[in-house]
Amino acid sequence: MVARRRKRAAGRAEEGVPSPPGYTAIPIKFSEKQQASHYLYAREHRVREGTKSSWPPKRTLFILNVPPYCTEESLSHLLSSCGPIQSVELQEKPDLAEVPKEPRSKFFNPKPVPGFQVGYIVFQKRGGVLAALALQGPLLVSTESHPVKSGIHKWICDYADSVLDPEALQEEVDTFMVTYDKKMDEEEAKAKEEEGVPDEEGWVKVTRRGRRAVLPRTEAANLRVLEKEKRKRARKELLNFYAWQHRESKMEHLAQLRKKFEEDKQRIELMRAQRKFRPY
Amino acid sequence: MGPAPRGAAEEPELMEPAVEGTSKKGKKESSKKRIATDCPVEGLLQPVKLSRAELYKEPTNEELNRLRETESLFHSSLLRLQVEELLKEVRLSEKKKERINAFLLEIKQRVMKVPSTPETELTDQAWLPDGVRVPLHQVPYTVKGSFHFLPPTHVTVVGSYLLDTCIRPDINVDVALTLPKEILQDKDALNQRYFRKRALYLAHLAHHLARDPLFGSVRFSYTKGCHLKPSLLLRPHGKDERLVTVRLHPCPPLDFFRPCRLLPSKNNVRSAWYRGQSLPGDGSPEPPTPHYNTWILQDVGLESHVQLLSTVLGSAGGLKDGVALLKVWLRQRELDKGLGGFSGFIVSMLVAFLTSTRKIHTTMSGYQVLRSVLQFLATTDLTVSGISLCLSSDPSLPALADFHQAFSVVFLDSSGRLNLCADVTASTYHQVQHEARLSMALLDRKVDDGFQLLLMTPKPMIRAFDHVLHLRPLSRLQAACHRMTLWPELQDHGGDYVSAALGPLTTLLEQGLGSRLHLLAHSRPPVSEWDINQDPPKHRDSGTLTLGLLLRPEGLTSVLELGPEADHPEAADFRQFWGSRSELRRFQDGTIREAVVWEADSLAQKRLIPHQVVTHLLALHADIPDACVHYVGGLLDSLIQGWKETSSTGEEALAAVVRCYDDLSRLLWGLEGLPLTVSAVQGAHPVLRYTEVFPPTAVQPALSFYKYLRERASLLPRIDKPCPAYVEPMTVVCHLEGSGQWPQEAEAIRRVRAAFQLRLAELLKQQHGLLCRAAATYTDVLKDGFVFRIRVAYQKEPQILREMRSPEGMISLRDTPASLQLERDTRQLPLLTSALHGLQQQHSAFSTVARLAKRWVRAQLLGDGLTDECLDLVAAALFLHPEPFTPPSCPQVGFLRFLYLVSTFDWRNNPLIVNLNNELTAEEQVEMRSSFLANRTRLPVLVIFTPQDRKSSVWTQDGPSPQILQQLMVLAAKALPVLEKQLMGPQGPGDIRTVFRPPLDMYDVLIRLSPRHIPRHRQAVDTPAASFCRGLLSKSGPSSLMPVLGYDPPQLYLTQLREAFGHLALFFYDPHGGEVIGVLWKPTSFKPQPFKASNTKGCVVVSQSEETLTVPNVEAILEDFTTLGEGLVQAVEARSERWAV
Repeated sequence: MVARRRKRAAGRAEEGVPSPPGYTAIPIKFSEKQQASHYLYAREHRVREGTKSSWPPKRTLFILNVPPYCTEESLSHLLSSCGPIQSVELQEKPDLAEVPKEPRSKFFNPKPVPGFQVGYIVFQKRGGVLAALALQGPLLVSTESHPVKSGIHKWICDYADSVLDPEALQEEVDTFMVTYDKKMDEEEAKAKEEEGVPDEEGWVKVTRRGRRAVLPRTEAANLRVLEKEKRKRARKELLNFYAWQHRESKMEHLAQLRKKFEEDKQRIELMRAQRKFRPY
Repeated sequence: MGPAPRGAAEEPELMEPAVEGTSKKGKKESSKKRIATDCPVEGLLQPVKLSRAELYKEPTNEELNRLRETESLFHSSLLRLQVEELLKEVRLSEKKKERINAFLLEIKQRVMKVPSTPETELTDQAWLPDGVRVPLHQVPYTVKGSFHFLPPTHVTVVGSYLLDTCIRPDINVDVALTLPKEILQDKDALNQRYFRKRALYLAHLAHHLARDPLFGSVRFSYTKGCHLKPSLLLRPHGKDERLVTVRLHPCPPLDFFRPCRLLPSKNNVRSAWYRGQSLPGDGSPEPPTPHYNTWILQDVGLESHVQLLSTVLGSAGGLKDGVALLKVWLRQRELDKGLGGFSGFIVSMLVAFLTSTRKIHTTMSGYQVLRSVLQFLATTDLTVSGISLCLSSDPSLPALADFHQAFSVVFLDSSGRLNLCADVTASTYHQVQHEARLSMALLDRKVDDGFQLLLMTPKPMIRAFDHVLHLRPLSRLQAACHRMTLWPELQDHGGDYVSAALGPLTTLLEQGLGSRLHLLAHSRPPVSEWDINQDPPKHRDSGTLTLGLLLRPEGLTSVLELGPEADHPEAADFRQFWGSRSELRRFQDGTIREAVVWEADSLAQKRLIPHQVVTHLLALHADIPDACVHYVGGLLDSLIQGWKETSSTGEEALAAVVRCYDDLSRLLWGLEGLPLTVSAVQGAHPVLRYTEVFPPTAVQPALSFYKYLRERASLLPRIDKPCPAYVEPMTVVCHLEGSGQWPQEAEAIRRVRAAFQLRLAELLKQQHGLLCRAAATYTDVLKDGFVFRIRVAYQKEPQILREMRSPEGMISLRDTPASLQLERDTRQLPLLTSALHGLQQQHSAFSTVARLAKRWVRAQLLGDGLTDECLDLVAAALFLHPEPFTPPSCPQVGFLRFLYLVSTFDWRNNPLIVNLNNELTAEEQVEMRSSFLANRTRLPVLVIFTPQDRKSSVWTQDGPSPQILQQLMVLAAKALPVLEKQLMGPQGPGDIRTVFRPPLDMYDVLIRLSPRHIPRHRQAVDTPAASFCRGLLSKSGPSSLMPVLGYDPPQLYLTQLREAFGHLALFFYDPHGGEVIGVLWKPTSFKPQPFKASNTKGCVVVSQSEETLTVPNVEAILEDFTTLGEGLVQAVEARSERWAV
């Protein structure tokens, strides 16, 4: 079985690797030692007309099936031979829009454990994309000159990274809070300004800061009001007062019993099917 | 996540573990021609929908009657239906009755035709043909009298078959053969003469019947296990062989024996004859032989009892139903079998008694009869105040007190001379009473599944009792009889030393165990069967005598047996009873008393004090050496003992951590300088609810083993050393008070929390000198060698995460994954932890049971599918809802019940309701069940409800998957009988770890890991002979170094594997020192998929015709396994014969 698959794999290498239409398959391996390789499926990043994409057209290479040990750095190292690279982005799923490049806090957004990913590589020139598509491979992620850590090495490294510097954390928290407080103050000031001032159509916005407290506009509050109403109405109603009410409540009781009986019968049927009545 | 179709298709198979006779069942099913509604097909209950017209139609008279009857005679309609179904299942069908009747008629004809023999002396047995042996031990052999065979005068059917109360399976029909007067002589009641004749009679009968082709088998057995009374078993030939067993009992003609000769105070076995020696000169009176007399009286009364029962039960269907139910009840509890069992006959007579005292009326339903009898048993102690069916006030009859002197349990028949419970021991009766009391409590609690627990759940001894001990070989009991000078008893029992010794032995142990013991039960010697050409089995052949101890948890903690003061007269008795273990001791209050002190340091050892008591007393008083007492109580303890620990099962270590945590929480409460005060400190880690399998130990790292990061006072693992010891920080949630100062935005709250974490670290260091390390979401604190991870929480944060603003500005609350997670971590988990902590205070065995259960599940590599909390709750259910048992007070029995619960619970149609702190009322539980049915498809496969979590079953949301649950149930169902056999079996427990070793042959790929990088290597089920140094100093002392926290390479590796290949395969691993990761390809993953940009992970394109298809790149993936785990992985074994791409 294995032998057969090996043979097929070998055959594949000879006749050129099959690739889906529009894509080029580039074999990639972790290092020299491995025999089988994964395949990167690469193509120029293109979108249908009318769709918007924030990746620069013509210069972006789109790669599928990036193995988990392949990081952004190693990818940029591998493709550097094709031309100068502007940026490398690895993502879990294909995404048309570039992620807003706000600096991610290493304290609050720890890096997730990677699986197979997709990559967007933006070259400085279009030539880079074409050169990359012509790559023969197999690409080696970890070489002697440029080793990539995996296994125990990587975990020890990760553990060391997880021991954080409290001062840096403090600093980051402080800067965030300063901006946040400023933002809040601004909003507050704006709200105060608007307080009691009618807009163009003459509407006045009622806020919770007013002199008289108003009901908060939440679903829960609405529900509470409805519930109260209902209870009020229920209290006024007379029960079992008229003869028809009597009759109806009796009938209701009977119906309940019948329903229960049907349910019980169903349960019994099920238990019998499972042979739950054989005591031993 | 809904119940997956795969699990659904497989479950019915699982519900039916019994394999034998499947073909028969299948046939029956088809013959029943059940209407195939959609529910039994799927095996899933659906909410019932009835049309309005159906619900509100005019009721018929019949329907009203039935409803009224159900209300008054039964508990509920469900119970009524269940009882009816059960009776249908155990009753004999008319068709079978006809076949049995025909068979009985044949037997009668044949018995009457057996030829008679010439008269010979009793001792001259040469006339017996070769192929048959006398079914009786004739000791001593010589006896006066002569015997010849004549056909019986009457052949009558007696017993339950006639009364229509016999239950399936194994239908027995008792047939009485009245011996002709000519065979018997005067004084045959003396010296076993009657029994000898009876045996010879059967031997001759057997010889002739055995040659008849009508019978499939002709064998001997003992009537109710009594060694003096053999009976002949006849089974039909051919396919009916299993249908029925006809038992022939010879009995004397009515009025042959003079009843006054057979009173309990009379002697009928002369010592001179029995012991083969002349009377001792002192002329002491002959000892009475009450049991011997009873056995003769039983034969005499056979027919009159049947007559009595048939007049009482004759026309009353409800009473018959009741007797049948009671028989099932007894059988589930193993109370009715063997010599001295509380048999169906006794129960029938009890029903007759209760009818005569008007406690039961003939119009009552079966359920009511069951209830009344249980009520009577629960409240009446027949060992003290016996009852009698006899109505006459004849002064010549003996008084009840006379019977109490001779027998332990007294229930007289209508003649007033025969004690029906003569062979029942006091322990057996107390067991019956105990069971009746439990059952009454269960019925009164009105639980939904009362029927199931009462009548359908078997209670084998090993699962019902905390400790079990086997005495073997039984021949030791003969010596015990000598030691305890039980000569008269032996004489009375016809040499049956097992039953003779049983009573005194149980009394001895009950007295010795005293306050530790709740109930002591013994197994009854099984009724053996043997071929007619074999000698009857000896007493010692009945295997082992098994005693079950139900312990009183509150009595277990004491190591002291307090005796009387030294100068009291009782002191001598005490010394005599305890022998050399009794010592004079001076107590704190100044008294000097006799006392026995047992050695026990840990709770585990204290639990085993009964072992010490039992072996000591048996050796001292009964001459039974240690080697013959096989004590099964703590055999599983070793599985949760840490490395180097031999005496403790870790409760002490856990308690030490909890104490340390209590100190820490006090420090947190008293912390000065925090901007907001602490409003609650709650534990949220398994250790803090006593359910961590291996409790943490205080660590002191050896500096040379690590890389030292000086500026952060932290240690890092080194690449050139083995993986350091695994230290898991214990989570503690610290709630801060609410305040207007908290921001109202999720991101900002996180920053503020981080600031608090930093502040907390700073303050703890300043004010208490503790080593702390803060991160954005937690602060690690090193205290006394333990590491706690304090998480600051703000109560309103989950709500803020839940807020959604609609376009109109209305704020509504919607659960989001983040809010649920936070809610779970900061609110529900601490609540659960404190509730289970409380449970541990009530039931000291909870910790060990939960840990054993977890150890087993993880050892089966299923630990990742079931959360810690889920397993803890299942274990808690064993203590909170032990019915029909009592809460376990020892880990072994708890673990067995865990396996039973997991393997038999109908997870698909029932939620497991764990009523923590008893907060739920019965109505609330009913409501929860109905809402469960309505929402079944939206709930996870395994549903656990608690008072805090009534709708969503939070701890099982992310697993197990249906397949994992299925696998768990299968494994539990297989492990339970194996383990029970090991614990109960005659060849000793053997290797107790067998059931903990996982089956590895089911996995497609095995990844072998290097022990060097498995930090918990020594926790493995089979403790490795040698492992690696983990960088800890052996002596403990104050440490100022933060150890490496939560660094477990196999777990890190698994996370990577699951992230990268989780869509193709499942990964199984035992976190406690497993050396193997099992990989199972998902069944769908090898099917070629059409190429999709979002779905190419780890796949390779194979062009097939026009369509582009992808398959997993297996060779590369197998190499990735090695690459990702470089250094950790030793080998990847692909069992490629199991799969193909």
